[in-house]
Amino acid sequence: MSTAGSLLERHAVKEPKNLSPRIQWLREYYFKGSSRAWNNEFTAWSTGAEWDILFDELTFYIVPETYAFLQTFRSSLQQAARNVQLHNDFWKWSLPERKAWFIKEVMLNYVPQEVLPGDLIAGGRFNVQTSKCWTKKEAQERDKLIYGKTGARAAMKWFHDHGYGNSGATSGHLVPGYERVLELGWKGIYDDIRSRYESLSVKDKKGPVGGQLRAMMTAATMAKDLAWRYARLCERIGQDEKDQARKAELASMAKNLKRVPWEPARTFWEAVQSLWITHMLVMSDENYPGPGVSFGRIDQYLLPYWELSLSEGMDREFGKEILKCFWLHANTAYDAMIRIGNQGITSGYGQLVSLSGMGPGGRDMTNDLTYAMLEVVDDLSPILEPKPNVRLHRGSPEKLLDRTVEMISMSQGSPFLLNFDERSMAGMMAEAKKAKVEHLINEDNVFDYAPVGCLENTMAGNDRSGTVDNNLNLFKAVELALNDGRDFHDFIDPITGKTEKVRQAGPSTGNAARFRIWDDFWKAYVRQTKYIIKECVDLYEKSESIRAKFCPTPYVSCLVKGCAEKGIDVTQGGAELSFTTLEAVTFATTVDSLLAIKSLVYERKECKMKELIKALKSNWQGYETLRAKATFKAPKYGRDDDEADEMARMVMNLWCEETWKHRTKSTLRQFRPGMLSWNYWVGDGFILPASPDGRPKGRFLSNAICPVSGADISGPTANMNSVGKALGGKAENGKGDWKEYFNCLPNGASHTISMSPSMMRNREQREKFKAFIRGCIENGGTSLQINMVDAAMLKDAQKRPEEYRSLLVRITGYNAYFSSIGHELQNEVIARISHESC
Amino acid sequence: MNRAKGDRAVKNENMIFPRGTVLRIQRMSVEDGPGIRSTVFFKGCPLRCAWCHNPESISNTPEIHWEGHKCIGCLECVNACPDHALSSTDNGIAIDRSKCKGCLTCTEICPSTALEAYGGTMTASGIIREIDKDRVYYEKSGGGVTLSGGEPTLQPAFARALLKELKEHGLHTALDTCGQCQWETLESLMPYTDLVLFDVKAIAPEQHKDYTGVTSTLILENLLKLSEFMESTGMPGSLWIRTPVIPDHTANPVNIRAIGTFIREKLIDRVERWDLCAFNKLCTHKYEGLGIEWGCRDLDLVAEDEMERLAGVARKVLEKPDMVFTSGQLEKPRLSLITGGKG
Repeated sequence: MSTAGSLLERHAVKEPKNLSPRIQWLREYYFKGSSRAWNNEFTAWSTGAEWDILFDELTFYIVPETYAFLQTFRSSLQQAARNVQLHNDFWKWSLPERKAWFIKEVMLNYVPQEVLPGDLIAGGRFNVQTSKCWTKKEAQERDKLIYGKTGARAAMKWFHDHGYGNSGATSGHLVPGYERVLELGWKGIYDDIRSRYESLSVKDKKGPVGGQLRAMMTAATMAKDLAWRYARLCERIGQDEKDQARKAELASMAKNLKRVPWEPARTFWEAVQSLWITHMLVMSDENYPGPGVSFGRIDQYLLPYWELSLSEGMDREFGKEILKCFWLHANTAYDAMIRIGNQGITSGYGQLVSLSGMGPGGRDMTNDLTYAMLEVVDDLSPILEPKPNVRLHRGSPEKLLDRTVEMISMSQGSPFLLNFDERSMAGMMAEAKKAKVEHLINEDNVFDYAPVGCLENTMAGNDRSGTVDNNLNLFKAVELALNDGRDFHDFIDPITGKTEKVRQAGPSTGNAARFRIWDDFWKAYVRQTKYIIKECVDLYEKSESIRAKFCPTPYVSCLVKGCAEKGIDVTQGGAELSFTTLEAVTFATTVDSLLAIKSLVYERKECKMKELIKALKSNWQGYETLRAKATFKAPKYGRDDDEADEMARMVMNLWCEETWKHRTKSTLRQFRPGMLSWNYWVGDGFILPASPDGRPKGRFLSNAICPVSGADISGPTANMNSVGKALGGKAENGKGDWKEYFNCLPNGASHTISMSPSMMRNREQREKFKAFIRGCIENGGTSLQINMVDAAMLKDAQKRPEEYRSLLVRITGYNAYFSSIGHELQNEVIARISHESC
Repeated sequence: MNRAKGDRAVKNENMIFPRGTVLRIQRMSVEDGPGIRSTVFFKGCPLRCAWCHNPESISNTPEIHWEGHKCIGCLECVNACPDHALSSTDNGIAIDRSKCKGCLTCTEICPSTALEAYGGTMTASGIIREIDKDRVYYEKSGGGVTLSGGEPTLQPAFARALLKELKEHGLHTALDTCGQCQWETLESLMPYTDLVLFDVKAIAPEQHKDYTGVTSTLILENLLKLSEFMESTGMPGSLWIRTPVIPDHTANPVNIRAIGTFIREKLIDRVERWDLCAFNKLCTHKYEGLGIEWGCRDLDLVAEDEMERLAGVARKVLEKPDMVFTSGQLEKPRLSLITGGKG
C-alpha cells in the first residue's frame, strides 16, 4: 500500500481514545459482532397455541426492503419460538393483561440474565419476539384485516408500488417518561395506576379500562422484578470474584439493583442503572429494538444525581465510566438480527440523547454533565448509539460550540445532529395552536421538547406522534396532475412480472396539455395533493386500527402520560399528545418540477406541455435538449432565489394545511406535518417516473427539506436561507410562533449539508465555521447534519459531477466548484482533502 | 445576475445608478478577509501575472467559455452563432475568438450552460440585494464584503458607489487590490473601506515586471501613500499584505525577505497581517475554457516544507511572527527529500 493510502486510512477514520481497560474490552468485544459468545439477538417466545403469531408486520410497513420477507419473518419466528408455560387463567384475561403478563414472564423467567465482565450497568438481553397473545378468534380476525384484496398488506403494497410512498403504525419514536421513573421510581408509577384502578366503578373494572389498568400494574412491576434477578446475579458473581475492586463494584451494583428502578434514584450510578433497565424493557415490550425510543434531555434530568454523587465524592472519571457502559448497552440493540450483518437489517435505530439547549426564560442549560457526555461520545466514537443531538440556540455558550465544532472536525461531520431551538420550538408552538393543545405545549415548557428517532421533535413523557408512520411522495401529485389523475406507466410487478394497467386513481383534473395558463396546472396539482394525502390517511387507518385493537403495549403505556389517566393504551391514542406525522418526501424534486413546468411551458415557452409529458413518459430519451434546459435553465429551490423559494412556500403551505385537516378514525390522532425522508428518496427514485426538473427515473429524489442534490449552486448560506424560508422564515413584526420565528413543521425537517474539511483546517477557519452555525440558528431550519467531505465522496463526485455541482473546493483567494475542474486536478484535491481532514 | 450583452458593457462611469462589470458574487467566502464574506469579483485587470488564478477576470468585458463535461452535443450553439465563431471539433466546441463579438446568443441558446459568459453588468443596488441575504452570517462572524477581481480600482466610480452603499447598509468592507492605479482612485475609495488587502508580489521593479507585466514602482508608491493616509486619517482601519507564493517566481527566500524588509522598514505599524498564499492549479480548466495557453501549467505546487521555510523567513524578517499567515494548496514533502524514518 502506498504512503498516501495509509495516510488516508489513518486520518479518515476517527479512533476511540481515553478508554480504560474495562471500556476498551467492552467496546472491542461489542465490535466482534456475531463472533461474540454473548449477544442480544432476538429470541422468540410463543404461547404454544397453533394459531400463535409473534411477528407484527404492521411495524415494518414503513420499511419497503422487508416487504418481500414479511411472510418469512412470520413463519420463521414461529418456527424458532420456544413455548412459555402459561398461567392457568391466561386465556381468561383481557388482551392487554395477557400481553403484560407474557412479556414479564419471558423477561423474568425465560430470557437469561447476564452481566459482562467489568460492566457497571446490568441489563443484558432485551431483544425478544413474543407472542401477540391472541386467542384463536382474535388471530383470525386480525389476519382477515391484514390479508385479502382489501387487507392492510395489499393496500400498503399498492401504495408503495405506485410511488405514493408508505404508511404503517410503527413502534417506538417517543421519549418515554424516564424522568418520572428516576424521580418517583416505578413504585410511584405503580401506586398511581393502582389508585386510578381502585377508584373505578365495578363496571369499569370489569370493562376494557379495568383490563388495561390491571395490565399496566403488571407491567409496572416488571422492571423491579428483573432488577432483583440482576441483583442476585451480581451477588452470585461477586462471591467467586477474586479481584477485590471488581467484587466491590458487583456489590454496589447489587445494592443499586435492589433499590432501583422501583425506588426513586439517589445516586448517579443508581439513576443510570434505573434508566437503562427501564429503557431496555421498552424495546422488549414493543418487540423492536430501539426504533427511535429516545432519551430526551438526558443531561438535564440526570444532572441532580450527577451533582449529588460528585459532591459525595464520586470521581468524575468514574461517572463517565458508568456512562460509557450505558452507551455500550444502547448499541446492543443492533444485535437483534446480528447474523445478517453488523447492524442487522437496518441502521435505522435512533436512540437519541439530547444535550444542552434552552431552558426557562431563554436560559442556556449547558452544564458539566453536558460536557461529560460529549467527552464520552468523543472517547467512544466511532460508535452508533445512542445518537447524540446537540441543541443550539442564540444563547449557546462559545465553549459548547467550540467543543461541538472540534468534534465535528475530527470526525468528518459526524457524530452530531444539531438542533436549532428557536426554529424547532416555533414549530411546537404552531402545533399547540393548530391542535388547540396550548395547555400542554406553551412558553413555559416548550423548551423541554426533544427529537426522537432521526430528528423528529416531540414533547417528552406524554407524546407519541407517530413520527415515521406516514411517508408521502409529494411528487406523486405532479405525476397525476400531468396525466389527468393517472399514473404515467402500467405497473409491472418486478417479482411476478404481472402487469397492472394504468387506471383512473386520482381525480380527473383534465388533460394537462390543454391547460392554458400556469394557474390551471397549479389547481390540478392542488387537487391531486389533496387526493394523495387522503389516500395516505386512509391507508394509515388500516394499520392504525388493527394495532389499536390487537397490539397493546402496556409497559410503554405506563411511561406515557395520558394512558393511565384515560385508561387506554398508548397504541389506542392514550398519550396526552397523540398525533401522527405525515412526513413529506421529495419536497425539492416537487418544487423544482413545478418551477420547471412554470418556467419552460408557461413563461419561457421552451416547449409545449404535450412535449414535456411525452419527454417524461419516454424518461427523457430523445429529449436530451429539453432535459438539459429543465436541469440547467429552470429556477431551483435552494439558491436563496426569492421567486423559486416562493414556490417552495406554496408547496409547503398546501400540504401542511391539508395534513392538519385529517385525523385517524380509530384513535383520533390528528395528522401533523414533518419532513424526514429516511432512505425512501433513494429507493422510490426507481419507482417514480422522470420528473420535470430533469431527473430521469432511477435517479435519487430529493432528501427531506434539502435542495435537489447539486442544485444549490450558491453555497451553504444560500442553501440554509432557502430552507429557513421554506419553513416560514421570520415575522417582520417580530411576532412569530416563537419570538420572530415561524416553522410550519412541528416534527422538524431533516437538513444535511456537505462542507469541505478545509473549513476546519485551523483556528481561524473553525471560528468562521462556528459563526456559520450561529447564522444557521438565525436563518436555517430545525436541525442540521454536516458532512465534511471526504475523499470517497470526492471520488464519487468525479464519476458523477452533475450531482455535485455545488461542491466547493476552497483554496486561498479562490473558490472552485469541484465538478468544474479537470480530472487530474480533482485527483490532487482528493489527495489534498484526504490530508486536510486529519 | 443580468447577463448583459457585450455592447451594453459599462462605458459611462457617472450614471446615476452606476453599473459595473462583475465576474460573480461569491457567497460564504472564507479566504478574503475576516469572517464570512461575500466577495464581489470585478472584471478587468491592469496586471498580467504569469500565474493568474482568475484568468476569466482579466478582460473587462464578458467572455464566453465552454465546459465539455456539461455539453450534451446538441450543436444548437454552432447553428445559432451569427458570426460563425463556433465550430464542432474532435475536442468539442471550438470558439474562434477573432470572430466572436460577444453577442452571447450562444449562451442564451445553450440548454446545459456548457457555454456561459464570464461576468455581466450589475448595479450597486442589485449587488447589495444579493449581499444583504447573508447579513446575519457577516454579523455573527465579524465578516462583510470584499471587492476583488480582477481589479476593483479599474471601475472607480462603480467601486466607490458600491462601497459607499455597503457602508450605508452597515456592512464591513474590504478592498482587495493589486495597487496598480492612480493614487487618487485609491484615495477616493478609502472613506468607505474598512480594510485593504494589498497584494505585493515583488519589490524589485524589473522583477515585478517579469512576473506581472508592470513594474512595482506605482504599486509600492501607492502602498506608502496609503500608509501615510492611514496615519493622517485613520482610513482604512486596517491593512493586510498578501503575497502569492509561486514556484519559479515569487516563491524564493530572497523575494520574501525583500517584501518583509519593505514591510518592516516602512509599514510595520500599519500592517496588521501578512498572508503568504500558495500557488494552486485549480484554474487550469479556466484557461482551457478560454482557449489561453497557461505558462504555469506545468509548475509544481509549493512543497509543505518549502512553504514553512518561506514563512520562517517572513516571520524572522518581520520580527513579528504572529503577523504571518499561510494558506493554499501545498505539496507533501517530496519523497526524495525525506531522510530517515519519516513518511
